[in-house]
Amino acid sequence: MAATQKIEITNLKYRTLKDRVIKGIIIAFSLITISPIILIIYKLIEKGIRQISFDFILKTPPNTFEAMTAITNGEIIPGGIANGITGTLLMVLLASALAIPVGIVTGIYLYENPGKFLANLTRNVSDILQGVPSIVLGLIAYIWVVKHITNGYSALAGSVSLSIMMLPMIVRSTEETLKMIPQTIKEAALALGVPYYKVILKILIPTGFSGLLTGILLGISRVLGETAPLMLTALGSSIINFDISKPTSAIPLLIWEFYNDPNMVDLIWSSSLLLMFIVLTLNIISKQIASRTK
Amino acid sequence: MNSDKITKGVLIFASAIILLVAGGMALSLVEGAIPAFKNFGLNFIFNNNWNPTRGKENYGALPFIAGTLITSVTALIISLPLSFSASLFLGEYYRGTKMAKVLGMMVDLLAGIPSIVYGLWGFYVLRPLLVDLGLPNQGFGIFTASIILAIMIIPYATSLSNEIILMVPNELKEAAYSLGATKSEVIFNVIVPSARSGIIAGYILSFGRALGETMAVTMLIGNANVIPDGFFSTGNTMASVIANQFGEADGLKLSSLIAIGLLLFLITGIINAIGKFIIKRMA
Amino acid sequence: MKQFVIIILAVFLLGACSNSSKKNGNEKSATSSDLTITAAGATFPMPYYNMVFNQYSDETGVQITYGGIGSGGGIRSLTDKVVDFGATDAYLDDEQLAEMPAEVVHIPTVLGAVVIAYNLPGVDGLKLSNELLEKIFMGEITNWNDPLIAQNNAGLSFPDKEITFIHRSDGSGTTFIFSDYMTKVSSKWAEAVGTGKSLQWPVGMGAKGNPGVAGTISQTEGAIGYIGSEYAFAQKIQTAQVQNSAGNYITPSIASVSAAAKGAIPDDTRIMLTNSDDPESYPISGFTWIILYKEQNYNGRSKEQALATLKLLDWLESESAQSQAETVHYAPLPQATAEKAKTILRTVTYNGTQLLN
Repeated sequence: MAATQKIEITNLKYRTLKDRVIKGIIIAFSLITISPIILIIYKLIEKGIRQISFDFILKTPPNTFEAMTAITNGEIIPGGIANGITGTLLMVLLASALAIPVGIVTGIYLYENPGKFLANLTRNVSDILQGVPSIVLGLIAYIWVVKHITNGYSALAGSVSLSIMMLPMIVRSTEETLKMIPQTIKEAALALGVPYYKVILKILIPTGFSGLLTGILLGISRVLGETAPLMLTALGSSIINFDISKPTSAIPLLIWEFYNDPNMVDLIWSSSLLLMFIVLTLNIISKQIASRTK
Repeated sequence: MNSDKITKGVLIFASAIILLVAGGMALSLVEGAIPAFKNFGLNFIFNNNWNPTRGKENYGALPFIAGTLITSVTALIISLPLSFSASLFLGEYYRGTKMAKVLGMMVDLLAGIPSIVYGLWGFYVLRPLLVDLGLPNQGFGIFTASIILAIMIIPYATSLSNEIILMVPNELKEAAYSLGATKSEVIFNVIVPSARSGIIAGYILSFGRALGETMAVTMLIGNANVIPDGFFSTGNTMASVIANQFGEADGLKLSSLIAIGLLLFLITGIINAIGKFIIKRMA
Repeated sequence: MKQFVIIILAVFLLGACSNSSKKNGNEKSATSSDLTITAAGATFPMPYYNMVFNQYSDETGVQITYGGIGSGGGIRSLTDKVVDFGATDAYLDDEQLAEMPAEVVHIPTVLGAVVIAYNLPGVDGLKLSNELLEKIFMGEITNWNDPLIAQNNAGLSFPDKEITFIHRSDGSGTTFIFSDYMTKVSSKWAEAVGTGKSLQWPVGMGAKGNPGVAGTISQTEGAIGYIGSEYAFAQKIQTAQVQNSAGNYITPSIASVSAAAKGAIPDDTRIMLTNSDDPESYPISGFTWIILYKEQNYNGRSKEQALATLKLLDWLESESAQSQAETVHYAPLPQATAEKAKTILRTVTYNGTQLLN
């Protein structure tokens, strides 16, 4: 008896030690994980905070001469990225309107029909789409929309390319989230005679809301910062534009323009900082919404 | 149940949209890639050359396939322990606490950084850091690109895994605890198996992201159109070469670039299939 | 809660889907016009174009969008007829012209140059003969203390430092002008590398865009590379003097770049200005062009749109636009070239009749 008790105790000590070590490793790795974001945000703030002002949000970019004179005089570069902010919001909103319904409904389909051939095919295709380089999606949208629908560079083309980029994220997170909901809840509702669509809308989606929202948020976050596809579809614009059949600017496009202009390079950091701020706001708002529905 | 039939129809319709979009994309790519394959044949895939000089044009995809595979796999390997730990941190160890909220937000912010900013930060900050540490080639190369990719793909796996882990039913965990299991034992023997599918989905999405990342890689990889001969040497990836040369390409070169895009499509599919197969086997 | 969010989304969508163009936020426009001109192409002249296009918009109310997606993108956009005109650093040769769906004309808009930038603290006024350029860029000279370099630069002392050559990783007009010059002055280069927007480089490493090359050079002691002049001038980077065809060592400047265009220009303005005859010219200079269709009635284009496009381009060739070039480190066109461009613009027709007077 004493022997087995001793074995149990040393076993317990060993397991507890293992437990502590694992916890330590996990915490260490987690800290490493967040170190890049700290470094990046630090750099953005260090170089970009100078330029942030109300003007920055409300005005359009300066030309290279104005920027040059401001630099030689040691002043803040005038102007702002208003056209980029409105363009980004316009195109991301439209892309979301296209991608969210399709993505979520497809995710539900995959969840409901796990074994079927069509479902497996769709799942695999969706995963493959995730790996397509953004510039290829831009090229596709160029061929389909710029050449054939709007006959010119347009915000619509940009939105189409962004929406395709968002889809895989939303589809997969929807399916995986729904899979985690205990079957009993769904079966109980169906047994009570609740029609299928009501089960989806009133039970499945609200229960899995947090997970669904995460997928949507990740999708939106990704496309907020994409440059390459927009270069081939929305092209850019020096003015604020809400017409989806015309070329539109976007924050990442402006960052690219600033990068290529010797006098406006400093603006890339403040533009990125603003974009980060938009992402942060989105995150906070969605977390609020998620906790509201819990 | 008429409404049930309609509901089922709507579900199928949505999936069909994705299939149609993907199918249409494949067709457009194939159309654009045909001149390249006509000219070089299937050898295009194994050709180790990329010579854009007029009159001596010779294009092949091998250097880029190698670059893409090496950087993406390395990025996945680097990010795996990090994102897995972070998702456990958020989903189990510090679940629901303020610290988890803040950390979770920071991880989500990583997803929101524009890829061009990753490239710029990598160029202006990470690269000089690595040069100071003794890296050759001015800090350009496979290693640097893999690090940036790893950072970029962390949020996808972390956020998704986190959500899935949070949804593991409490009864399972409580049962294990009541049997005397330690926290790590509960995690690895109960939570992870039950959340397996979602966690893996997160990594597949991460990997896909790494395969297709354009802007950040193109600024850091050194753009040498050869198969990299060492971990710290320069190279190029499929997405990066398309992004770099697309603006100025026409004729045979454009077709070759589109062919590379098509190949990336195929390679993503093959790797995903292999990965899923292995995982099924491990079950 | 969910209904609320959906309503907000719907309102936004309706607003966005309406095809009416909302008034822009540019409070400086004197008159308003519904006309928008879209163009795409080279990144090299982008800062200059953006500046003068903005000015034109202020004066006339016509909105202009220019996308710097690269010369190839500009050519492709014009081929696909999705822009009013394209911009390119390398003119279309006869073969490419034949592939265009209809006849295309070129007009040069401004001059730029490619400078040889380097990073050697304390070593200013580096002179690089054509022979040195060839040997360095082809990898035969690998260290700054090589006797051949010192021979050419009496009075300067060189450290024992490896030469790192930084070239462009992306296809670019800057590379085109640089390689065109190298092909003209070095038969070895012509044989092994040739001219093009992207090349098979014998040595060196690639960085993306002018800022990528400039940034890498400024962070690497012993680096050398080529960048667009407007970039080098604005960022005050060390530049080398290059020998022109008359044997003079020339420092890149607005004057020496403009001098490169002083010789004879063909009527269609398609000519490379590298290694030009003028004794004061900087030898690695070049035009950048705008390309458009000679017959403007295509794809349902209205006469108004065509006329507006031509008026803009005509203004671009005029004194008001050209005088601004120098302020942002581009070289203006010589009078004779601007005249040629204006003549070409007057051959552009709508349904066969000349549009501009």
